[in-house]
Amino acid sequence: MSARLDLVVTSVDDAVPGIRSVTLAAPDGAALPPYTPGSHLVVDVPVGGGRTRKAANAYSLTGESVHPTSYAISVLRCATTAEGGTGAGGSAWVHGLAVGDRLTATPPRSAFAPVHVATRHLLVGAGIGITPLLSHLRSHVRWGRDAELVYVFRDGHGAHVDELKELGGDRVTFLHDRAGLAEHLAVRLAEQPLGTHLYTCGPAGFMDAVVATATDLGWPASRVHLEPFGVAALDPGEPFTVGVAGRVLEVPSGTSLLEALEDGGLSVPNLCRQGVCGECRVEVAPGSGPVLHRDLYLDDATRASGSCLMACVSRALPAADGRAHLEVTL
Amino acid sequence: MVGMNQTSVPRWAWDETAPGAAPDPRGRTFTLLVLPGAAAVADRWAEAVAGRAVRRHEAADVPTAVAALHADLATARVGHRVLVAGTARECLAVRAAGVRAGLADDEMTFGVVSTADRAVWCVHCDATTVAPVAIDDVVACTGCARSLLVYPHVSRRTGEHLGFMVDAEQPGTAAEQPGTAGVAA
Repeated sequence: MSARLDLVVTSVDDAVPGIRSVTLAAPDGAALPPYTPGSHLVVDVPVGGGRTRKAANAYSLTGESVHPTSYAISVLRCATTAEGGTGAGGSAWVHGLAVGDRLTATPPRSAFAPVHVATRHLLVGAGIGITPLLSHLRSHVRWGRDAELVYVFRDGHGAHVDELKELGGDRVTFLHDRAGLAEHLAVRLAEQPLGTHLYTCGPAGFMDAVVATATDLGWPASRVHLEPFGVAALDPGEPFTVGVAGRVLEVPSGTSLLEALEDGGLSVPNLCRQGVCGECRVEVAPGSGPVLHRDLYLDDATRASGSCLMACVSRALPAADGRAHLEVTL
Repeated sequence: MVGMNQTSVPRWAWDETAPGAAPDPRGRTFTLLVLPGAAAVADRWAEAVAGRAVRRHEAADVPTAVAALHADLATARVGHRVLVAGTARECLAVRAAGVRAGLADDEMTFGVVSTADRAVWCVHCDATTVAPVAIDDVVACTGCARSLLVYPHVSRRTGEHLGFMVDAEQPGTAAEQPGTAGVAA
């Protein structure tokens, strides 16, 4: 596992319904590692409060990235499964934190950095997906880069609205409904000077719509950047078996391969546990059946090669004989 | 020797049997740059993107093509694609101008009619030699007359191949190179 930072909660802000902004600092107040705009922390969520497994949740950093003495995250509370929702309880845990509480997290990781050869940056966010884009906008304003931000949120439920307005002024557009968004995007995406890069973060359906509009208007893939979060809940999947290190383990419906391996006493490096970070990659061994890839990490070529899978989300597909079985090496 | 598929030299710049490229059908607008002898490729492409906004420029040489490219890019919006039909040397040179102007690799398509000529940049004297020479072969530098190995690397910024003295490790050869006075200073 990667090194962890020890952090202490220095403030909490619940001004926006359902969203909590938390400020974290080193216990001795020392400077924290700086980060690239759009970076996130992976926060360790302990067992307890209905959570039977420890988890690690990624939260985008919204504050100052240069010489920071604090880290700021904003977290939307997702209803847990016990409450009839799909959340695993990580965000509910964040909403229960109090000033002075201690936690551990990875140092900032970047998977959504501004492209420095871009001559202009178009940022399109929805809901809590504004968080990495706020970090981008802060950096663009500081360095005098050309940027434009479009933020769609349910009226009264927008995060960092005043801060965005103050930072971006008339470069920021706020929208409150899907129809307005579609109309606005069709115009804005058609009018960007060559050299612009597009960055989008929000619910999966929203990002799909942004990418579809961009693609229709001729945007090449190299200019479109996504920060997946709030990964749509996956279905529990069919049961299968896995052969590993001379043993055969059962993977029931609703249990991930990663969990099954852990329950079998095997250790697999992992972080996000939702198919995003790429840590829990396991190699496929000879004799394996086909894989149902459900991650957001592997590219098409790697998937087609059938050489590996992400244990946290991907599963076995039934082979021609109906048997669903994977052979893996750790 | 490195495998050619692991080098910075695009396949179309050395392999004349490479399958011909086609315009990206997702492009909204196009610039079509046609260098001498490449009209057939350009005509085929023009047909493939018929009905779209295509600006076709017949260019006598690379500087003319680059000037036309710059003029089009000044007002281009994201969604624009650039199609270049010409020799590999011309395509690499226009690609370099495109890269410097901020175009991405997936916004440029190249149709190559010949891979015979290369531009080779001399690391010793900074001169560029254009000659019919293959990668890994040797060419005399027009600047300093050193025998340059044409290394399988092309600069994205200039479109020129990396050339360096092939016999640099043979004792005495450097002093015998003509035209090198003052080069090392």
